[in-house]
Amino acid sequence: MGALAAAIAVGLGALGAGVGNGLIVSRTVEGIARQPELKGQLQTTMFIGVGLVEAMPIIAVVIALMVM
Amino acid sequence: MSQYNKMAARQRKWMFYLLAIFVLGAGFTPYLRISLGLLLGSIISFYNLWLLQTKISDFSEAVSKKEKPRGIGTVSRFAAAALAVIIALRFDEYFHMIAVLLGLMTSYIVIMIDFVVFKNKD
Repeated sequence: MGALAAAIAVGLGALGAGVGNGLIVSRTVEGIARQPELKGQLQTTMFIGVGLVEAMPIIAVVIALMVM
Repeated sequence: MSQYNKMAARQRKWMFYLLAIFVLGAGFTPYLRISLGLLLGSIISFYNLWLLQTKISDFSEAVSKKEKPRGIGTVSRFAAAALAVIIALRFDEYFHMIAVLLGLMTSYIVIMIDFVVFKNKD
């Protein structure tokens, strides 16, 4: 049961991170392609977005390894 | 130096300060297990921060030059976090598990505080 709990924790965490990262990256690519002069600002926004989105799946990885 | 590079350098500087504080904590306080856990977590967190900064810089550079961008290193960061937890589980007598988890979150706290403090200054 521990392995199942770990798999569900990591799987759902990674699913959320995948959707979130996908949205952030696609919008950033669109923005940079449209206005390359805004690269610096969009890069910063993308960095903060990706950083915050990935905090939760990293906690999920830790919890999964603890319950396994 | 661009706004992004300035922000990245500032975040790395604060991570170095925090690492120094944790080393002092491990050396001079009686809470060795907690300090070592925080130190392990924040070393891996610093690696994650550096990887994120480098990958995002490379990614946006590739997009602006209309080249094919490579990934942003999500799996590498998850693997680094898993490595920290495995080390902490293997050497349980040296590392406090919750401290490792808090240490892993250090870079996110640095990112958030840096964003809130400097969002109107740059």
